[in-house]
Amino acid sequence: MAFIDARTLPDASPIEADLIIIGGGLAGITLARELAGGPLKVAVLESGGREIDEAIQDLYAGTAVVKAPDNPDKPFDDYPLQSRARVLGGSGMIWGGKCVPLDPADFIARPWAPHTGWPMTRQQLQPFYDRACDLLEIPRFDAGDKALKDPARPPLALDPRDGFFSAPRVFTRYSGGADRAAFDRFRTDFAAAPNITVYLHANVTRIRLTPNGDKGGGDVVEGLDVACLDGKRHTAVGQTYVLAVGGIENVRLLLASNGVRPEGIGNRRDLVGRFFQGHVTYALDGDAETEGTAVQVSRQASMSLYLNPGRAAAHCVVAAGLPAQARLKTGNFTATLYAAGETGAGTPTQAETKALRRVATRMDGASPGDGQLLGFFAMSEHFPNPDSRVTLNMATKDPLGMPRIHLEWRYAKADWDSLERSAAAFGDALGAAGQGRVCWPVQRRKLLEISSASRHHMGTTRMSADPAKGVVDPDQKVHDTANLYVTGSSVFPTSGIANPTLTILALTLRLADHLKRDMGARQ
Amino acid sequence: MTAVLARRDLLAALLAATALPGLAHAAPDAPLFGDLDHAAAGRIGKAWLARHPDAGAAALARRLFPNGRGPDALPALRRQLSEDFRRGAVFVHRGWRLSETEGALFGLLALEG
Repeated sequence: MAFIDARTLPDASPIEADLIIIGGGLAGITLARELAGGPLKVAVLESGGREIDEAIQDLYAGTAVVKAPDNPDKPFDDYPLQSRARVLGGSGMIWGGKCVPLDPADFIARPWAPHTGWPMTRQQLQPFYDRACDLLEIPRFDAGDKALKDPARPPLALDPRDGFFSAPRVFTRYSGGADRAAFDRFRTDFAAAPNITVYLHANVTRIRLTPNGDKGGGDVVEGLDVACLDGKRHTAVGQTYVLAVGGIENVRLLLASNGVRPEGIGNRRDLVGRFFQGHVTYALDGDAETEGTAVQVSRQASMSLYLNPGRAAAHCVVAAGLPAQARLKTGNFTATLYAAGETGAGTPTQAETKALRRVATRMDGASPGDGQLLGFFAMSEHFPNPDSRVTLNMATKDPLGMPRIHLEWRYAKADWDSLERSAAAFGDALGAAGQGRVCWPVQRRKLLEISSASRHHMGTTRMSADPAKGVVDPDQKVHDTANLYVTGSSVFPTSGIANPTLTILALTLRLADHLKRDMGARQ
Repeated sequence: MTAVLARRDLLAALLAATALPGLAHAAPDAPLFGDLDHAAAGRIGKAWLARHPDAGAAALARRLFPNGRGPDALPALRRQLSEDFRRGAVFVHRGWRLSETEGALFGLLALEG
């Protein structure tokens, strides 16, 4: 129906709808798009406006540190502020648009990796992945990703016995970083539907509960406190509420809404905020003295499939499948190859690299020449870790009175073991297949130093059918509540190595179907 | 046999092997290692030998070329290399993950150089 700037409403205005979506990022927008034109009256409450604004963005500010064995702590205070965008369209505004589903292995409970396993399989989520792909106008990731493999640009001929496979990525144009005009349509056109109202500059500062959990039906959300940075205060009341403000802010709002439950909403078992997982790349540039992370490709005539070919075509990486993970007792792993020039010209280092590449190429039975020398970055699954967590810093509050957050992003020894074993196995797979060699010159004590964090925040309101193991149930409803759902990457039990947006959209489409059924039955 | 002649034999054997049908695309007269930097290869070989101080040229030659340095040498080395990687028998040099067979080959080149 409309966009409304909440600052223009009279103070203490009531916002009423059947469904209230907290957050107008890609998850919230996708849910609203699914419900547009339907019978339910939907209100979307978005903190930001149409453009990124420094004062609004500052509401994210908090503190953070990364801790890992054998490495000095890495202060990371700017991460909460800089890793998401508080604006209509959310972090879709700064997203690169890279899309890939989680691998089937990511959904499986792996005995060697504690706290793994989703309450659904990749196959069960596949129809929603397909719909998400259609929504983003990208090819579907069908079995074997056949639609994404270009015969003219074959992937590396790795031996399936070694457990590594080609895992293409593609790009959608529906991101602020790709096609702003298309993304503007994506984030606004649904609001033309008569049942949709999007409130901008509307910050939810508290979820108000009616305690009912002890009677078996779950606590009932009775309304929301809404605040504007100009001082206006409103309320929002609906039948059902969906929290969709990101993997850190979802936690912040649940924990800060402690008027009825001192521990916060959905937190009776002290799980809200735990199991924070992120995606990190590991790459080292070479110099005159030291080697960088590199791949010598001996035989492949054209490596264009493995080099980032731009946004219009498949973008491929090599990934470790479940058999390799089971054999190595590792998590998911990918190696993304990219063009890189030789370093250290004229140095002994370069001469040795050239010599071993020449011998490797001949040993692999390739044509004269030295094959191709490429750079690569590794990514390794961050195992679910209850000590990796988001908490509130009650001593520091933002201009709306909300406590700031503290992120303690923790790695365990198993994470480093998995990364190093996987990188070695990647090299072994390439060598065994006669396709090339891998250079992984990274010392464990330098891993944090060379890491680069993505903006993906996952796992903090993890999904499980068992209330003792998860914050939300398989329908994404907060355990012990009657009418509060969460969507976004915070519900991921494990993070895989897939860029999370496609999975966020798939889960949100699945939630939309559930809400249509559930709320339709109640109308 | 002098060391220089031995190296020539080794390279010639590998060169001959690349001319096998279906084995490689190399022209029969193309040099196997081209302008391989023998000093650099020697340093790699010495690094391997440092981890195998008991390795000698004769033993390495028998291990790498049990049937002599003839045309069959490279396919056999190739099979051994794959087996090395699959059983984790690797030689890591400045981060480069090479097979033990390659390491031994560099070692032999160093000893015969």
